[in-house]
Amino acid sequence: MSDRITVEELAELMKKAAGVTVAPEELQQQYDSGFDALGIDSLGLLGIVGELENRYGTPMPTDAEKSKTPRQFLELVNSALLAGA
Amino acid sequence: MSEPHPRRAAVTGIGVVAPNGTSTDTFWKSTREGISVLDRVTRAGCAHLPLRVAGEVRDFDPQSAVEERYLVQTDRFTHFAMAAADQALDDARLGRPDTDAAPFSVGVVTAAGSGGGEFGQRELQQLWDKGSRFVGPYQSIAWFYAASTGQISIRYGFKGPCGVIASDEAGGLDALAHAARAVRRGTDVMVAGATEAPLAPYSMVCQLGYEELSTVEDPERAYRPFTASACGFVPAEGGAMLVVEAETSARERGAPVRATLAGHAATFTGASRWTQSREGLAEAVRGALHEAACAPEEIDVVFADALGVPEADRAEALAIADALGTHGRRVPVTAPKTAVGRGYSAAPVLDVAAAVLAMEHGLIPPTPNVFDVCHDLDLVTTRARAAELHTALVLSRGLMGSNSALVLRLGATDAS
Amino acid sequence: MTRRVAVTGIGIVAPDGIGVPAFWDLLSNGRTATRGITFFDPAGLRSRIAAECDFDPAVHGLDAEQIARCDRYIQFALVAGEEAIRDSGLDLAVENPWRVGVSLGTAVGGTTRLEHDYVLVSDRGKRWDVDHREAGPHLHRAFSPSTLASTVAERFEARGPVQTVSTGCTSGLDAVGYAFHTIEEGRADVCITGASDSPISPITMACFDAIKATSPNNDDPAHASRPFDADRNGFVMGEGGAVLVLEELEHALARGAHVYCEISGYATFGNAYHMTGLTSEGLEMARAIEDALDQARLDGTAIDYVNAHGSGTQQNDRHETAAVKQALGAHAYDTPMSSIKSMVGHSLGAIGAIELVACALALTHQVVPPTANYETPDPECDLDYVPRVARERRLNSVLSVGSGFGGFQSAVILNLPREKTR
Repeated sequence: MSDRITVEELAELMKKAAGVTVAPEELQQQYDSGFDALGIDSLGLLGIVGELENRYGTPMPTDAEKSKTPRQFLELVNSALLAGA
Repeated sequence: MSEPHPRRAAVTGIGVVAPNGTSTDTFWKSTREGISVLDRVTRAGCAHLPLRVAGEVRDFDPQSAVEERYLVQTDRFTHFAMAAADQALDDARLGRPDTDAAPFSVGVVTAAGSGGGEFGQRELQQLWDKGSRFVGPYQSIAWFYAASTGQISIRYGFKGPCGVIASDEAGGLDALAHAARAVRRGTDVMVAGATEAPLAPYSMVCQLGYEELSTVEDPERAYRPFTASACGFVPAEGGAMLVVEAETSARERGAPVRATLAGHAATFTGASRWTQSREGLAEAVRGALHEAACAPEEIDVVFADALGVPEADRAEALAIADALGTHGRRVPVTAPKTAVGRGYSAAPVLDVAAAVLAMEHGLIPPTPNVFDVCHDLDLVTTRARAAELHTALVLSRGLMGSNSALVLRLGATDAS
Repeated sequence: MTRRVAVTGIGIVAPDGIGVPAFWDLLSNGRTATRGITFFDPAGLRSRIAAECDFDPAVHGLDAEQIARCDRYIQFALVAGEEAIRDSGLDLAVENPWRVGVSLGTAVGGTTRLEHDYVLVSDRGKRWDVDHREAGPHLHRAFSPSTLASTVAERFEARGPVQTVSTGCTSGLDAVGYAFHTIEEGRADVCITGASDSPISPITMACFDAIKATSPNNDDPAHASRPFDADRNGFVMGEGGAVLVLEELEHALARGAHVYCEISGYATFGNAYHMTGLTSEGLEMARAIEDALDQARLDGTAIDYVNAHGSGTQQNDRHETAAVKQALGAHAYDTPMSSIKSMVGHSLGAIGAIELVACALALTHQVVPPTANYETPDPECDLDYVPRVARERRLNSVLSVGSGFGGFQSAVILNLPREKTR
């Protein structure tokens, strides 16, 4: 497991935690579109954050679950992971 | 009738997800033919349990029935409810343009007796095996009894009255009556019914305490109400949703009225006090007839509760005689649920669907697996019986002591 | 001629408020009953606080068999039911049992026992193919939510319409609302109604942890529940049960019963928005209030007190403030609105009924219970939340609102009878 969360991993988490399938390429294209447009609701984002915290054994910033876009989200969680590493 | 109710509640749509058919058509064909689909339980993790026979819904593909996200976010009982609601709304020809124009005039009420048990078991396992941080966010909205009403309301944008009757079997009829009353109070459309999914391992363990449960291993012998070999009931999953609509509203939009919910009453006589249920069920029938302004002789067919426990079957046969008088011995009685089992609060809703279809087709479906009736009843067995049917009576009793009766009339009323 | 519905008896089991006198003492003094969880080891949870009842069923008259058979939430309902029936002065032996109904709400029902036995049959979560031989003898009663209404109906020998209502956090208001309609429509003359929940369990706490709905103020439990305060950060779990005896008004007057108040309006709508999310406008809750006012034939300006849902989550308190302003207009600013969840926590399905008992007592004492812990105003919540201290006020008509998962929005109106009843 790398210490950076990739678009691929986010796509996989979206599928697992919220039941929403978006291909990584498509997610890359929609990097700045809203999670709501992708079909991820507030609970889904909480699920993704929870899953990440369990996987990496480290708390994520509280703002992560309020991220509006995949870009915002990945920047936040990756900076947290980097700081934790 | 001298004083027709200003807002009569009509059935304009039916949706079914049952062990013997995942559409209204397939359900009716199988019900009419009297094909029993009771079988050994095949769900993962259940093989070792002393409950061997159930009515499983095997033709249901949740992935094609509901959007992908619901597979992760909701339980099987809600998948059933959404799929059945879809069918019912299609059948009623009610689309988003109709309901979006007046969202507060469409409400939802479901009955639920077992909740999201499979989902709940998965999350309990996460909690106890791994820890509280492994419980997912959707547990809070998938396990509870209100999940299906909430999800249907949100999925279709219905903002009308939303309700959940978390009762025993009879709750299914009570939910339909609740819908009829909401219509009388001014809501145009109620999506109403019940679905259950109690065939996950832990849910099945929970049911083992019901002394009325059949543990017979032979599917053909496991559920034989009204016979000397009655040995309890077989559980089932699935259910039905109906569109219950003000007759005036249906007429305005040109939707055919399939039946009207003419009368209902509910009573209580104590959990597992089956002898006493005679009096309670008879009282419920009298109340339903009174509300429907219906004479006992007008009842053309009775869909029985048919618990399959000798004491309870006897009480039901006597209750029919008590409430309908001499007509009670002549009126055809049927229990098509012996083909599929009892899906708790969903069971009587499936019976209501079958009753509407029976009236429309002039055909009383039979009671599969039942041959030698040991009560003074004209039980329709073996094969369907042709009959002119205008009015049906559906009965239900619950393991926790509820009794409920619903009178249905075919088509629209003439009184308008 | 419409049938009017009176409240003639009340009973309650609430945190630090078992029995009506203790409950009113807590509310009228603005004390809080929230504390660190003692029922199980909450280590690992984000929110480790709750409002627990120090409840010994034997002290309240339940026998050993009742205690063994009945889940804690049903014990609450039995004890509150006894108090309410006693208070009503009803002699059930002379009532026609077919005209006595039961309508009780619960959000999570028997989950505490379901979880307890699950741990046994699954070997602490190790197996999916659970071992039925480890299950307790009363598990099926926990599985079936109708056990609640059924047990209470058996106790009081009710034979009319009996139902359990489960609409999440509006269960209490809805159960009483259904009972109100049942009597109004003539299907019963007496209805034993209310709600009960005992959700302080690992699975339910973990459930709300996962969505960060509960307060993490673990270091200061007594001040953790902060409805409408700018520093609110979630609700504090509670437990309890409340029962109200509803009676057709003429039926009550004919036997010379004390009438606490009438219930004159009830409505519920769905927001069709999100299972847990709320809109910022609150139009659906406003609609429920307006509909309930119509049934009560009251104008919004007649409302003297709003008993808020006031859970103490950021979104709820904003939503509700907007809804009340929408429904009552400028009058909202002149109307005290408080949340007793600040004191007794949020007992999910039970709280709506507990709040209706609080409303009946507010009308009786002509006192508005406060919102404890309210200190720092939130610009988005700009109504009169009755900070910390109860307030005497002339009360004729009060409104109680609730909001729950599934998007349900409910409203109930209670008022003193418009003519002298005794």
